[in-house]
Amino acid sequence: MVWRKLGPTTTTTTARRRRRSNLANILISLLLVLICSLLFDVFSGGDGRRTRSGFVEGAFGRNDGGGGVGAIFWITGGGVGGGGGNGPQSNVGIAIAVTVMAGLAVAATLVYSNRGHLQSPWSRRRRKHALQPKQWKAFFDEDGRLCDGGVKFLKKARSGGVHPSLRAEVWPFLLGVYDLKSSKEERDAVKTTNRKEYEKLRKQCQQTYKSSDKTAQIKEMCGSDSKDDKDDGQVLDPSSPRNSLSPSLNQSDNLKPCESGGDSELTCTRETESSDSDSSVEAEVMHPEKLAQETDTSSSNTESKTLNPYRSESFATWQRIIRLDAVRANDEWVVYSPSQAAVCLAKALELAESVCLKDYNHLEACRIFHAARLVSILEAYALYDSEIGYCQGMSDLLSPLISVIEDDSEAFWCFVGFMKKARHNFRLDEVGIRRQLNIVSKIIKGKDSRLYHHLEELQAEDCFFVYRMVVVLFRRELTFEQTLCLWEVMWADQTAIRAGITKSAWGRMRLRAPPTDDLLLYAIAACVLQKRKQIIDKYSSMDEILRECNSMAGHLDVWKLLDDAHDLVVNLHDKI
Amino acid sequence: MSYAYLFKYIIIGDTGVGKSCLLLQFTDKRFQPVHDLTIGVEFGARMITIDNKPIKLQIWDTAGQESFRSITRSYYRGAAGALLVYDITRRETFNHLASWLEDARQHANANMTIMLIGNKSDLAHRRAVSTEEGEQFAKENGLIFMEASAKTAQNVEEAFINTAGTIYKKIQDGVFDVSNESYGIKVGYGGIPGPSGGKDGSASQAGGCCS
Repeated sequence: MVWRKLGPTTTTTTARRRRRSNLANILISLLLVLICSLLFDVFSGGDGRRTRSGFVEGAFGRNDGGGGVGAIFWITGGGVGGGGGNGPQSNVGIAIAVTVMAGLAVAATLVYSNRGHLQSPWSRRRRKHALQPKQWKAFFDEDGRLCDGGVKFLKKARSGGVHPSLRAEVWPFLLGVYDLKSSKEERDAVKTTNRKEYEKLRKQCQQTYKSSDKTAQIKEMCGSDSKDDKDDGQVLDPSSPRNSLSPSLNQSDNLKPCESGGDSELTCTRETESSDSDSSVEAEVMHPEKLAQETDTSSSNTESKTLNPYRSESFATWQRIIRLDAVRANDEWVVYSPSQAAVCLAKALELAESVCLKDYNHLEACRIFHAARLVSILEAYALYDSEIGYCQGMSDLLSPLISVIEDDSEAFWCFVGFMKKARHNFRLDEVGIRRQLNIVSKIIKGKDSRLYHHLEELQAEDCFFVYRMVVVLFRRELTFEQTLCLWEVMWADQTAIRAGITKSAWGRMRLRAPPTDDLLLYAIAACVLQKRKQIIDKYSSMDEILRECNSMAGHLDVWKLLDDAHDLVVNLHDKI
Repeated sequence: MSYAYLFKYIIIGDTGVGKSCLLLQFTDKRFQPVHDLTIGVEFGARMITIDNKPIKLQIWDTAGQESFRSITRSYYRGAAGALLVYDITRRETFNHLASWLEDARQHANANMTIMLIGNKSDLAHRRAVSTEEGEQFAKENGLIFMEASAKTAQNVEEAFINTAGTIYKKIQDGVFDVSNESYGIKVGYGGIPGPSGGKDGSASQAGGCCS
């Protein structure tokens, strides 16, 4: 994908139509389009391997806020020439095609300048309804395959979210559990495999409860008074419990949880998964008893510190913290999930017992049930992705998922898909979180140098004040329903990128902003920018900004946020 | 609101010991039985009076899990006081105190006043750490100690205010250069409103004693 931006971009939200400037704009458009086609010609001639599909955006306008005309030109030439070079003839062809397209684009410019400026899919004027059950059904052919590779579906989900009644069915597509091109039959097979895999993980968790030499520890984990507890959460051996559990990371290709540097310990070994028999699992995966011993024999803090700058936590520590966090998960989900809210006490207690949950006497049945489900899945995840294990904040991400998806195995695999990107937020070395804060900082710098300068003066340009938003993806700042909408839009973007639907397909949609992996970060920057005046005029320390950010809960509108984020993506995507 | 001094505090300790609840009890005088876990840092503030001077406490409440330590560490710098909290019903939170203390000593300024708090004293029937053990640990490490309950509010005021009193005394004794904000102390311009003193009077008086 080649992105090229020609001409100065302009802030488009405030742009209004001005007839007087139309003619001038059209002339400029024509000129730029000609230059662009020339450039394109030269460019494609220079590198035959490069894809011939490019998104050329020209947004022409004046920054006086009076007039602005935007146009998008999608230029689609021939496909990539089978690895070899393309002859000069094809270049001529492309040049002609480009010119023709340019003509059309000028016409489009005219149309848009008459209709007013092209807005983001999330602006109030263009706001779409959520994907409806009827539409969803109509997307599938007789094999249960999404008709056009899922393009229409993603477009719809991206612009308006998903109807609440569809979420449990749709999310596995948005989270990469099911391939967009899969048939019903293929999905059923994936579902079966996934279920077995999840059950296997749960079985391993259960074994840690039973294991006899761990009794004391589990008692402690469950909140009793064991005095001989030695678990100080500091395991120094880098091979435990990490790595040794990695064979469980063997999901379908699109669920490999690792790409970036530093994750190399995680091996995704789908091929090696041979059978479902317990013995093979035992061979691959560390014995739970051993897990317990690792904890017991862990060395003192000082030792582990000198050996490993990022002290890792043991599985037993994760189990303990998961339980602490599960019983204090909030209950915002209750009104959105009536069937789970109505769970009977006996069932809740039974489940709580089965995962060794304690200290829940103050909770009502549905919250006990919810807490027990959180424990089941988080614990299984800690085994599945032992590099991350469990980190606080993950329960914030899982809670909405299990509220929507009633089946534990399905919820688990959706969570795995969700975590594929979010897991970087939870790395002990904080590389992931810092990278993201850095991007937010760059967006603010690119958009608003005055605000950025102010932040620099307060030594707050590292944007640590949005830490929480990055870690739990706006879960604390938005209401339950709004969070789900934001996540759906964000997932749709990520799915589009994963499926390679970023070329002509988006062009047909006339969505100006390209899908981006970092939509959330643009939304975070947008919400800081919404407060710019206050920050510049009133705040003279980082503390005050952090306080402002932490108190945004309930005051944000998700669609306004996305609309503003869209504007930032359009203007800054190439620069960041 | 004007103040004679502003003291920055940090609250540290294992996850689930009740750090946020202590803060909420202190700032809002209420108890929330189910409190969202803290992600990163949160913030609270309250005015108190010591020696007839209005003092603003600016309190940073931190997340307890190891994973958040490197962000919380950056808040040690510039803190005048720390509340180090454990849960008297969970032994391991007491066992981890040494590690927290080491962290604090390493990243905070040397004169930071540390108050050790054994929280959840209302749950005496589930006690796993005796008061004596807490006292002993505090004594060995030169900390002020108190058992408290965020639920019943027992000793919560005292914990925050006694810490402030110690910091105030250190200022009186000239331990801090209050013009250097990295000690977590800021001299304000507000004095005691009312007949007893002029606005600037108390500030300059307070500032004067340690220059």
